[in-house]
Amino acid sequence: MNRRNFLASSFAAAPLCAILNACGKTPAGKLRLALDWKPEPEFGGFYAANYANHGLTVDILPGGSGTPTVQMIGAGSAEFGTVSADELVVARARGNDVVALFAVFQNCPQGIMVHPSPNMNSIGDVFRSGTVAIERGLPYARILEKKYGFDKVKIVPSPGGDISAFLHDPHFAQQCFVTSEPLAAMHAGVATKVFPISDSGYNPYTTVLATSGALLRDHPATARAMVEAVREGWQSYLASPTATNANMHGVNPSMDLATFAEVAEAQKPWIQTADTATNGLGTMTAARWDTLIAQLKDLGDISQPMNAAECFRLL
Amino acid sequence: MPRKWRTSAKTILPPLIPFVVLTLTGEWIVRAGIVPSYLLPTPTAVFRAIIDNRAELTRAMLKTSGSAFAGFALSTIIGIGIAVLLSSSRWVQRAFYPYAVFFQTVPIIAIAPLLVIWFGYGMRTVVASAFVVSIFPVIANTLNGILSTDPALRDLFRLYDASQLDTLIKLRFPAALPQILTGLRISSGLAVIGAIVGEFIGGDGIGSVIDVARTQQRVDKVFAAVLMASLLGLLLFGLINLVSTLTLRRWHASEQQP
Repeated sequence: MNRRNFLASSFAAAPLCAILNACGKTPAGKLRLALDWKPEPEFGGFYAANYANHGLTVDILPGGSGTPTVQMIGAGSAEFGTVSADELVVARARGNDVVALFAVFQNCPQGIMVHPSPNMNSIGDVFRSGTVAIERGLPYARILEKKYGFDKVKIVPSPGGDISAFLHDPHFAQQCFVTSEPLAAMHAGVATKVFPISDSGYNPYTTVLATSGALLRDHPATARAMVEAVREGWQSYLASPTATNANMHGVNPSMDLATFAEVAEAQKPWIQTADTATNGLGTMTAARWDTLIAQLKDLGDISQPMNAAECFRLL
Repeated sequence: MPRKWRTSAKTILPPLIPFVVLTLTGEWIVRAGIVPSYLLPTPTAVFRAIIDNRAELTRAMLKTSGSAFAGFALSTIIGIGIAVLLSSSRWVQRAFYPYAVFFQTVPIIAIAPLLVIWFGYGMRTVVASAFVVSIFPVIANTLNGILSTDPALRDLFRLYDASQLDTLIKLRFPAALPQILTGLRISSGLAVIGAIVGEFIGGDGIGSVIDVARTQQRVDKVFAAVLMASLLGLLLFGLINLVSTLTLRRWHASEQQP
């Protein structure tokens, strides 16, 4: 820290710390894990983990639509968080030093859900007519726009997990978590067809445990213990999710236990892949990060090329 | 200093000083590295975002203004209408006022998906959202204004056998104007918020720009869009103040300069 910065921070730091919580970065006490959605099976392993066994006390903070976990990690209001890989690359390009540690979903579980019809055979068919609810700011939305064009459909905001418009309109398609909204629609008696986003060639790791570069530097043992606890948590959740599901259902009663069990089963192939069979759950490769970085640079979301190695760390 | 300059300095300086202080502080705490720029953009970055995205922001502003104005106009007309009806008798008031409170407590985000189904994607949903969020202060303040007419004047009207309608138009309504305008001032800001929330789910406008910029972690653009929304709120607020000055300056203390 140079002198000017030192003076500046000593004047303003005290009240700002109170606001941003940025100074309490000693992970000695309670660690906070910020989730980017409600407690649902996609976070099962985090709830199943026995942190105490690894000498950690972890507070899980459930999130919702738009919870800015990347910024929370950067601001120090959470030591750990779940993010998606593309979010992390963009954040790094903006100077937010966030590093991926463990990728739960090896393949991106985002998809476009449509009403089945003989004309709907590939993800490109989605953009031929009707209404598509999609978050325009997301990189994959813009990749789809580049590839298929959005001029023949009406693009509307994503209703964030709500499926009432979909149930109501047979020409309505919406972005979804492949293991979530389609099941909800099925329970409401409406059949669906789902095209995973990865079909378009865009496949970022999703539900990625991340932390700040600072924590990784200053407390590597804590980060390692966290990853071990999370990996064991996921192993145990994949083997028997029942008890953890009951636990999460207590926090999020809006999803019933039968759905919890169904989703936990349906998401397995997205979490366990050939890669994880050889390298362990949560593994990541530099090649996958490189592809993602190139795609984001192509889109103009980042302006400079980035070194894949700085985005993730396998502990 | 010529007198004209001195008066304009008097009106411009007070709001200018906090602006300059806040802007400089904002610029400084980011440049000094106290707050990282991905959490708080510098005022210059926000200004640049406005310049770089001026076409998009202008288009969005026009859309949002249209919807906010429409929702606000509906709130004004329907809100005053409802308040007049409620004021007609104690019984009506007891029967229906509790339901008017309903509007104030509607969690707009919760019913948003329904608004989309009822009104479709686009402007009608946005106007409905602006209306629902902004009507209650109009009802509450108008009703309060009408009910607190000076009893002596009411007696005078009764003495001269004035009809209910005459009393309403010539006495109760004009006497309630200051309160009605207070209600409208509160509503104007709410209408802008309602429109933007409506746009989060109905699409288009500033709401959509904010949503997209937030997803792309463009904090500067989020702030640029928020600034546009505040300008819109100020514009509506200024309009009501103008109406207020024109209608009240002859007789009400709130519009008379000391």
